[in-house]
Amino acid sequence: MKPIAFHAVGKSFGATHALCDFSLEIPGGAFCVLIGPSGCGKSTALRMINAMILPDQGRVTVGGEDVARLDPVEHRRHIGYVIQSVGLFPHWTVAQNIAAVPRLLGWSKPKQADRVEEMAGLLGIEPALLERYPHELSGGQQQRAGVARALAADPEIILMDEPFAALDPTSRATLQAELERIHARSGKTIVFVTHDMDEALRLATQMVVMDRGHLVQSGAPIEILRHPANSLVGAFLGGGSIHMRLLDRLAVRERSTPRRTGATGAIAAGASLRQALDLMLATGSTRLAVVDEDGTWRGEIHIGDIIAGGEAGTSDASA
Amino acid sequence: MTKVHDRVLVLLCCVGLVTTFFAPFLDQAPNRLASSTPLPLLNAPGFEAGAVILGLGLFMPIALLTSDRVRSLATIGASVLLLWACLAAAGHLAALRAPSGTPAMRLSLGPSFWSLAGIAVLALLDAAQRARLGLGARLGLVGLVVAGFILMARAGTFDSLSLTKEFLAHRAEFATELWRHLALVCAALLLAFVVGVPLVLAILRNDALRGVVLASLGIVQTIPSIALFGLLMVPLSSLASAVPVVKAIGVEGVGPAPAIIALALYSLFPLVRGFTVGLAEVPFAVKDAARGLGFDRRRMLLEIELPLALPALLSGLRVVTIQAIGLAAVAALIGAGGLGTFVFQGIGQYALDLVLLGAIPIVLLALAADLAFQLVIGVVRR
Ligand SMILES: Nc1ncnc2c1ncn2[C@@H]1O[C@H](COP(=O)(O)OP(=O)(O)OP(=O)(O)O)[C@@H](O)[C@H]1O
Ligand SMILES: [Mg+2]
Repeated sequence: MKPIAFHAVGKSFGATHALCDFSLEIPGGAFCVLIGPSGCGKSTALRMINAMILPDQGRVTVGGEDVARLDPVEHRRHIGYVIQSVGLFPHWTVAQNIAAVPRLLGWSKPKQADRVEEMAGLLGIEPALLERYPHELSGGQQQRAGVARALAADPEIILMDEPFAALDPTSRATLQAELERIHARSGKTIVFVTHDMDEALRLATQMVVMDRGHLVQSGAPIEILRHPANSLVGAFLGGGSIHMRLLDRLAVRERSTPRRTGATGAIAAGASLRQALDLMLATGSTRLAVVDEDGTWRGEIHIGDIIAGGEAGTSDASA
Repeated sequence: MTKVHDRVLVLLCCVGLVTTFFAPFLDQAPNRLASSTPLPLLNAPGFEAGAVILGLGLFMPIALLTSDRVRSLATIGASVLLLWACLAAAGHLAALRAPSGTPAMRLSLGPSFWSLAGIAVLALLDAAQRARLGLGARLGLVGLVVAGFILMARAGTFDSLSLTKEFLAHRAEFATELWRHLALVCAALLLAFVVGVPLVLAILRNDALRGVVLASLGIVQTIPSIALFGLLMVPLSSLASAVPVVKAIGVEGVGPAPAIIALALYSLFPLVRGFTVGLAEVPFAVKDAARGLGFDRRRMLLEIELPLALPALLSGLRVVTIQAIGLAAVAALIGAGGLGTFVFQGIGQYALDLVLLGAIPIVLLALAADLAFQLVIGVVRR
């Protein structure tokens, strides 16, 4: 598991400062999500990791090695990359597209074929689609193929630039779940760019908020929600709905207390506070029993627990 | 209510009918220099003349057919009939008018023949395009038309036409010049390709150089062909006299060398531009993805850029081939030979049929090259 680090990186395109004094450490195995307004330098930062763009100032290191000193072609073959606009090869079938990097690495034909099959299974690409050409796929199928191509050679690091941008909410949620599963199982380092705050909060173990080429705040999503570094982050996190988002990230077990007041409904300890609130609104009760996965009683959660905790937790955001 | 679904067909039919009645189908003259008398189609034997009128007349009802495919297929049938009937009518009318023992008698194809044959070919090409015939069907169609022509020629149908007489008189030369013409074109294309491909690769990633190269090649394109052939004669002849090795490999101020170089120069612009545009049109996202996945420059070019630019390259090559086949006629002027020889001889001797003996094969070669490229591009595009 290779860590990635930016050391005071600067990059300009003519008069545009795409990145300014940008420093960031991404531990190996992290799911790092870069988020920020359009043009803030997310893609630029991402593309520095696989040497598509080299820094004007500072260094980018992968596993401790300066990216600028590595052979870029060889380096890229060991990093999965999903580009912002998919970019499947139009003259190759989906299977050939997925096998692109294994082929570059000189894998045997049967091994390539096995991997294509495995990737198709992993990303829910029907076998019938494998022999089609990219223009014969829907936008969502193309994005799945793009992700499969990036993962095919089993890279330790995966870079994804808005990979689910063109998807409907349902397919997006499915692919997010698949990606979470892949990350949890493989422990790969994933660097992921998105505009979508909910996507970022859901996937990230490390969230990086950027603005005009600067790193504004980096940390676990819940920490950023609790303590936004400044009003810009607060606004970007969703302004008015920041507390609701926080409820989304917190589990019922964190606020429940072992008391018995005769609550009617029941909710799992692992459910989010938002789900608890939703159930209260639906049933009209202000108290819920909290149960473990195996159904054993744990305590109760009252509407006051949810609200008081929320206020205390984010008091400095509204200041 | 009936509705015309193909106005072009109606127009072709009307033009054809007008020329049938108001223009000579053949021109008859007692010898090359004497003035000629016009022979209308209606002088031809009834069967052949009838077949011509029938083929042409069929265009009218066919134009009313609703289904695109049925209409195209019917048009193909009618045009083939028209073409064959024109050939047969011309041959048989000439035979009627040229009693044996009058070898100086000239029976040449007249405006009406040319327009009718032209109409048939136009309608045929257009319909073959619309019917979306497969590769096999297209080749079959060409084979059918050619087979009809060969059968008639074997049967001596065209023997009395003065064009045939010119052909028979120049038979040996014809074969030589035809091959020479093809050799000129092939050599020029090869040269253009060998020079053009590295040129394209050189200007591909260099915008400034691309502008300069394309502009200069574009200027060459505007030099009139005769002037360019002439312009090359001077430097080449001085080069040949100054460097014996150059002369030894056959390079001279006149002959094939300047012709091939001039033809190659004309071919370079469309070739280089078509190829550059094709490569430039490969989507940025595709190249970016390839680079990001670890394709090096060589594999990027061979596996991504070239395959995606191939249709554009072939289209460029097609334009260039057809252009070179036509332009090579001028090469005869500087002693390079080729089918142009007959054209210029004919002009000098005021023998129109000799001009045609050079011009018709040039047109047919160009059509054949076009067809061949369409087939290849079709295969590549899949
Ligand atoms: N190749 C380039 N040439 C010139 N300017 C560039 C180039 N790449 C990026 N920029 C500029 O650098 C800035 C940062 O671009 P970048 O693509 O990193 O933004 P981003 O955060 O990914 O935006 P988006 O969310 O819209 O994709 C922008 O102002 C952009 O216009
Ligand atoms: Mg971007």
